[in-house]
Amino acid sequence: MLDIETIDSILAKFPQTKGNLIAILHEVQNHYRYLPEEELRYISKRTGVPITQIYSIVNFYNRFSLKPKGKHVICVCLGTACHVKGAEKVINEVKMKLNIDVGETTDDMKFTLEEVRCIGACSLAPAVVVDEKTYGKVTPKEMSSILAKYNKE
Amino acid sequence: MASKVNITIDGRQIQAPEGMTVLEVAKKEGIFIPTLCYLDALEPEGTCRLCIVEVSGSIRHSIRVSCIQEVREGLIVETNTERIQRNRRVLMELLLARTPYSKELLDLAKKIGVVTSRFHAEEFDDCVRCGRCVRVCRDQIGAHALCWVNRGYQRTVTTDFDRLSEYCIGCGSCVQVCPTGALKMEDRGNERIIYKWGQILARFKLEKCSKCGKPFAPRKYLEHMARKVYKPRGQELAEIVCPECARKVERRPFPAPEFPVGKTPFGF
Ligand code: SF4
Ligand code: SF4
Ligand code: FES
Ligand code: FES
Repeated sequence: MLDIETIDSILAKFPQTKGNLIAILHEVQNHYRYLPEEELRYISKRTGVPITQIYSIVNFYNRFSLKPKGKHVICVCLGTACHVKGAEKVINEVKMKLNIDVGETTDDMKFTLEEVRCIGACSLAPAVVVDEKTYGKVTPKEMSSILAKYNKE
Repeated sequence: MASKVNITIDGRQIQAPEGMTVLEVAKKEGIFIPTLCYLDALEPEGTCRLCIVEVSGSIRHSIRVSCIQEVREGLIVETNTERIQRNRRVLMELLLARTPYSKELLDLAKKIGVVTSRFHAEEFDDCVRCGRCVRVCRDQIGAHALCWVNRGYQRTVTTDFDRLSEYCIGCGSCVQVCPTGALKMEDRGNERIIYKWGQILARFKLEKCSKCGKPFAPRKYLEHMARKVYKPRGQELAEIVCPECARKVERRPFPAPEFPVGKTPFGF
């Protein structure tokens, strides 16, 4: 269902669309944890930015997602340093515990698993980011307790 | 009056208006530079890189893309050095990897001395990612039906959310400017489809000519013509008449397409 009120209130924060489209999309993404098609089409109508252009932008940036994401996004670093320090085992732990693959979301919409190549925290390798929080030197066992913690929330 | 600058192309001293690109000046002087993504009527985008030239003088000695490189005082351009030829050939081989059967591309390849490609793509879709289709639809037609998605090797032309386009008017301009035939348009009975490898982009019912009864144009296209071509001339699109009937029966020329299709390197 198209949620006009939410979008209107986001758009109201940006009197000018020009130069603000990305910021608008960010807010929408934060609100829904993804960018729903109907909402994007509505934004296009309201702002006059062609939907093809919006689609192209959304597609370009990894930060944006067209598929619903879980409540918590688990991002495991598979960069060189983290890889060497055993990130593979950490990510496998998540896959096994949640029964999802990279890019997938659990059925209860709680978790989405993503991978990334180096987040610039190599000294903390292997690093995992859950939502906005970074965890360093993560062992599979710790990963499992991190998951349990977020699962309770 | 734009002020002039003095430049040299292949040893020839030329006076060129400021703001012109190297490619435009070379063309005016009859100097051949191969191009693929460039099209007279469209804003250049510099994507295919075939038009590279070597510059020096008032710019650091380097390879530049001539369709987007503006001239400036004291610029020295070499369009066909050994180094340029070598680079162009590699670029062409890369383009051919995914577009091995396009006659147009093969002709252009021959012109710059490439016969086959060392590279092989697993899948060919004939698209060289020149972006002419996206640009013509956006800038000339104003329909904004096409866009780019994905990056790198996965980059491809599509419609919004990869669905049948609501915005496409079925004018066929994108098909007309596509240098490789990757985009196609087909009228079957009273239906028109615009499609590319593995994806139908838009689909239309064709309106019948009121004189001969032949289905010939999508309604959206006729509406577009009425709004963009007839109305500015103070005319109205009163009857729906196909181009042939308009010529034969009424001796009235069908309005020229508003998109001035320029000469492409392939002569269409
Ligand atoms: S046929 Fe459709 S997609 Fe192609 S240029 Fe015309 S409006 Fe754009
Ligand atoms: S479909 Fe044709 S015009 Fe469009 S980018 Fe591909 S080759 Fe160029
Ligand atoms: S490799 Fe993981 S943070 Fe750098
Ligand atoms: S013609 Fe200049 S980059 Fe394609």
